[in-house]
Amino acid sequence: MSGDATTASAAAPEKPPRRPMSLQLKVGLAITGTMVLLGLLAPWIAPHPWDTISMRTRFLAPNATYWLGTDEYGRDVLSRLLMGARLSIAMGVAATVVSLAIGVPMGLAAGYFRGWTDEVLMRLADILMAVPPIMLGLLVLAVTPPALWKTALAVGFVYIPLIARIARSVTLTLANEEFIQAAKARAESNWYILFREILPNAWPPLLVEASLRVTYAILLGSALSFLGLGAQPPSSDWGLMISEARSFIDRAPWIALAPGIAMCVLVIGINLLGDGARERLDPRLKARIGKR
Amino acid sequence: MTAYVVRRLLFVVLVLVAVSMLVFGITALLPANVAYLILGPFAPPEQVRALELKLGLTDPIWQQYLRWASGFLTGDLGESTLMNRPIGPLLAEAIGRSLMLTGASFVLIAVIGVGLGIVAALRHGRPLDHGVSVGTYLGIAVPEFFWAIVVIMVFAAWLGWLPASGYESPSAGLWIWAQHLIAPTITLVFGHLAHVSRLTRSSMIEVLQSPYVTAARAKGLPERVIVLHHALRNALLPTITVLALDFGRLMGGIVVVETIFAYPGLGRLIVFSIQNRDLPTLQASILVVAAIYALANLMADLLYARFNPKIRFGRNVG
Amino acid sequence: MLQIDDLTVRYRTPGGVLEALSSISISAEKGRTLALVGESGSGKSTVALAAMGLLPQEAEIASGKIVFDGRDIGAMSFEERRQLRGSRLGLVFQDPFSVLNPSLPIGEQVGEGLVHHRGFSKAQAFERAVELLNEVGIVNPQAVAKAYPHELSGGMRQRALIAGALAPEPDLLILDEPTTALDVTIEAQILDLLEQLRTSRGLTMLFISHNLGVVRRIADEVAVLYAGQIVEHGSTTEVLHHPVHPYSKGLLAAIPRIGLKQHRLAAIPGRLPDLRKPPSGCRFITRCPFATPSSDAPQTLRQVGERKVRCANAEPLRDTPWPRPEQVAEPIDLSARNQKPIVSVTDLTKTFRLGGGWRFDGWRPRKVETLLTPVNAISLDIRQGEVLGLVGESGSGKTTLGRTILRLIDPDAGTIRIGSETISDKPQRELEAMRRTAQIVFQNPDSSLNPRKTIGELLARPIERFGLVPKAEIPARVRALLDLVRLPAHYADRYAHQMSGGEKQRVGIARALATEPKFIVCDEPVSALDVSVQAAIVNLLADLRDRLGVAYLFISHDISVVAHLADRIAVMNRGELVEIGDADTVMNNPQHPYTIKLLSAVPRVDAAMQART
Repeated sequence: MSGDATTASAAAPEKPPRRPMSLQLKVGLAITGTMVLLGLLAPWIAPHPWDTISMRTRFLAPNATYWLGTDEYGRDVLSRLLMGARLSIAMGVAATVVSLAIGVPMGLAAGYFRGWTDEVLMRLADILMAVPPIMLGLLVLAVTPPALWKTALAVGFVYIPLIARIARSVTLTLANEEFIQAAKARAESNWYILFREILPNAWPPLLVEASLRVTYAILLGSALSFLGLGAQPPSSDWGLMISEARSFIDRAPWIALAPGIAMCVLVIGINLLGDGARERLDPRLKARIGKR
Repeated sequence: MTAYVVRRLLFVVLVLVAVSMLVFGITALLPANVAYLILGPFAPPEQVRALELKLGLTDPIWQQYLRWASGFLTGDLGESTLMNRPIGPLLAEAIGRSLMLTGASFVLIAVIGVGLGIVAALRHGRPLDHGVSVGTYLGIAVPEFFWAIVVIMVFAAWLGWLPASGYESPSAGLWIWAQHLIAPTITLVFGHLAHVSRLTRSSMIEVLQSPYVTAARAKGLPERVIVLHHALRNALLPTITVLALDFGRLMGGIVVVETIFAYPGLGRLIVFSIQNRDLPTLQASILVVAAIYALANLMADLLYARFNPKIRFGRNVG
Repeated sequence: MLQIDDLTVRYRTPGGVLEALSSISISAEKGRTLALVGESGSGKSTVALAAMGLLPQEAEIASGKIVFDGRDIGAMSFEERRQLRGSRLGLVFQDPFSVLNPSLPIGEQVGEGLVHHRGFSKAQAFERAVELLNEVGIVNPQAVAKAYPHELSGGMRQRALIAGALAPEPDLLILDEPTTALDVTIEAQILDLLEQLRTSRGLTMLFISHNLGVVRRIADEVAVLYAGQIVEHGSTTEVLHHPVHPYSKGLLAAIPRIGLKQHRLAAIPGRLPDLRKPPSGCRFITRCPFATPSSDAPQTLRQVGERKVRCANAEPLRDTPWPRPEQVAEPIDLSARNQKPIVSVTDLTKTFRLGGGWRFDGWRPRKVETLLTPVNAISLDIRQGEVLGLVGESGSGKTTLGRTILRLIDPDAGTIRIGSETISDKPQRELEAMRRTAQIVFQNPDSSLNPRKTIGELLARPIERFGLVPKAEIPARVRALLDLVRLPAHYADRYAHQMSGGEKQRVGIARALATEPKFIVCDEPVSALDVSVQAAIVNLLADLRDRLGVAYLFISHDISVVAHLADRIAVMNRGELVEIGDADTVMNNPQHPYTIKLLSAVPRVDAAMQART
């Protein structure tokens, strides 16, 4: 028999060894996990009611009962913070889901079909990207009474072109792979190729990018709330909390500092997680999305 | 190269036309009725009808758009529904002030951000690099409005060095004018530095590990020549694009920063017109922002082409 | 000139410490050329980087020293080492496409060594660069010196790189696979250039390559590397014509040779040992047909006659050849094979429009289009069970032709018949029958298998797609397919990344066979593989042709492989078919000048040694 590669290699069923998680990834996972957990459990673990106004306890500095102090209506800042965590996370995730749901199919189609489909979709994305995100959000929210879900929707809408571009560049890379030609050579439908051959390979980098997008969404959403175009009082959205605390900075800085620092920690956590996960991606795809 | 410039210019015009349609479309098509927005939800129907006729709101949408767009081209931006003043001069003042702010911030961001990125890349994996990376994570995570509050707390409330808010024209004295610019500028720089330095760093690291830098080392060139002559010009190419993007982000950043510092620029005008439902002013302002942003991108593309021989020379010798 | 003593280099990798080189000792004598030969993973490029002091951060020199002209490089200061690099030690890299700085003109990059090592002014250096470019055979040196890398072809870039390395007149030139990325005709020119420089300048060269034919042309001495160790080291004539170490024997036997048509090629089974935990004994033991129980002991490199060999059994094995592959069943009846064409292509043309756009003629816009015709009025037939070899250099259009025949690219003109069906004018959705009859095997085993599917799923899909067998019988069909390409059945549960390159290519072949095709386009199926693995795949393709009577369009840039496998050969150049005919006729009596040029450029390992001075 001609040279047979199997005899020796059958004895070596080596899977490339799983790389140990980087410190970056571990810290990111720990922070994000804790924040998500705190947000989920907020109603049960909050030490005080988050929305009960009490004139007797106004502007208390952090102490044994109120760990992070109280605000101008005498509400416990820590409890409000915990309730705000769920709002921020939900807002970031919801907005990202919106932009993924529309952006990914757009990008897949543009990258796979090329030609005029690509041209039309990507010029559309260019136009949306010609307005700074916050202005686009303001524009959408300006004409309708503010509410948090509308903010999430608007933020999601704003980031569609970004997601579409990433999805497109990943698809472009994958569409050049020979296994796509192999699928065409057995007369597979475009539908099958897009969703059974390309998408399973595209989702890891897309999810990584999406996780980083969550932080954009959280920051943009809170900025809109800060400007009064998102959550409305008495909500404990972090952006709104900071906005309301502005007038008392010299008297009671803790009311503004607490949500500000909480937001930083959450965003840093998600960024570490996303960057750590990106490090572990297939280098070929990493090169493509790294350019963004 | 000429063809490239012309093509890019045409595209900018196209984008602006499309953005104007988008801006007009969103404000005109969303379910809210403009007349009600102006008059309040409980206005009597006759009054609403009269206003709609006056504003031409009963005409087909494309006629309204054409009227608005042609007004724009002839320099007639309409009238602010709130202040009953022509929008043109109102906008011009605001743009001037905002450009002062963004211009100063942009120069600082470009110089410090690119510098930090390069230094960190050259010290890749050493303490300085780690320091810059940690700073970068902080910079990306802290929202602008929080920076602004911290800046006010530190420089205005505690140290008392700077005014907490407001604007004075240069005629009131250069130092007073500058004092009012410093706090918002610091805020903007803090908020945007991280993005630029992070991308400069990664692009520089990528170039320093590229085969042609190894090849330059194999030629025994001094490290200084390798970094300044071989690596830098290639590493800075993508940074140009990043800087243009960042200029766009700055134009977004002024919305929050100008609001907090009560700085009467374009950003504050936009928030003000939203809060007061002044749609004509809002439409005009956003279109102006898009135009400035598009021009910044155009500049970046042209600079990119200028420094990239692949675009500069389309010819073939071999 | 250069002496490497007992060099061991380790890399820190995420999966553990990898020993890339283990106690390597070589020396390059003044005015002579030493070749380092090995397959991927042998550690040959690490030698070049170590000698230049350019090892990446994650590498560590565990022991040994590198002495250049009597001075230990390891003991030098960074500055001393830098001054040595370029001025006395030159390096030419493998890939001319990425080692030139994209934003500096060629002339500057060629001359900059002179500025920093020889104190030339920039203007003087540029002038000298133009002379050097002329010397390395660039026709229009003045213009090329002012051009940027992207404006040059691969061959010109490689010449410019050599000119740059030569500029400060180094004593030693290290060349790391300098011709691998180039076409054979360009390769021949570069080798001639190097030979000529060696005689005119008395240059010492360390030449690193996997290609034994190239080494035969250029080297005085050869060191064969396997898994980080030198296994055989001697004069080129001795090592290449009478290899002693089993690995050298296998490597040489695996090369298809022009003019010596064997039924099957010899191949080396198995794969490289894991260098993260290298075996203590002979590293070739699992692949060696001559292994005895005593081979398990540590082997040392020792003198055997004129050469050094790392094998305890070197003396008894001295004249034993690598085992010949056994003869498989006689091919199916030749006369039956020559009946009617399974594929018939007439006047096939495909044109691509590139860089269409508006340019300015002064102020008048003008539409410009660059047309590229990779397939230009091509006609050919492929008969049942026949192998038609398609040869051509890069850019000749051979891949486009293969894909156009299968309608993976739509043709602009001409007709294609596959079986009894004319498929050139049918819409894609009516091609189902053809897609079953005609399949394709790709070049790159890393890209041709979807990394998220198991091998079982990959092979089941075509069967399911065409409904070839009832659902319950699919697993049995998959096992049969794996068996056909000689992979064990349990591979069905694996993913592509858990297999070696050769194994992946076998899966690619099995997938093409899944629809029971009559015709397969093999698009460079072995060019991404090492020689020893390549031989096994070529043999497999030959066996399958004989057993199943499939016809191949076998596309390759490597004429020796094509000559080995093909019944007839077609030669393509710039989109045109310049010659087609019986394999023996084309090889032995080529008619077209291009074919003659191509054939004479192929470096042959068994050609007579050139007289050397």
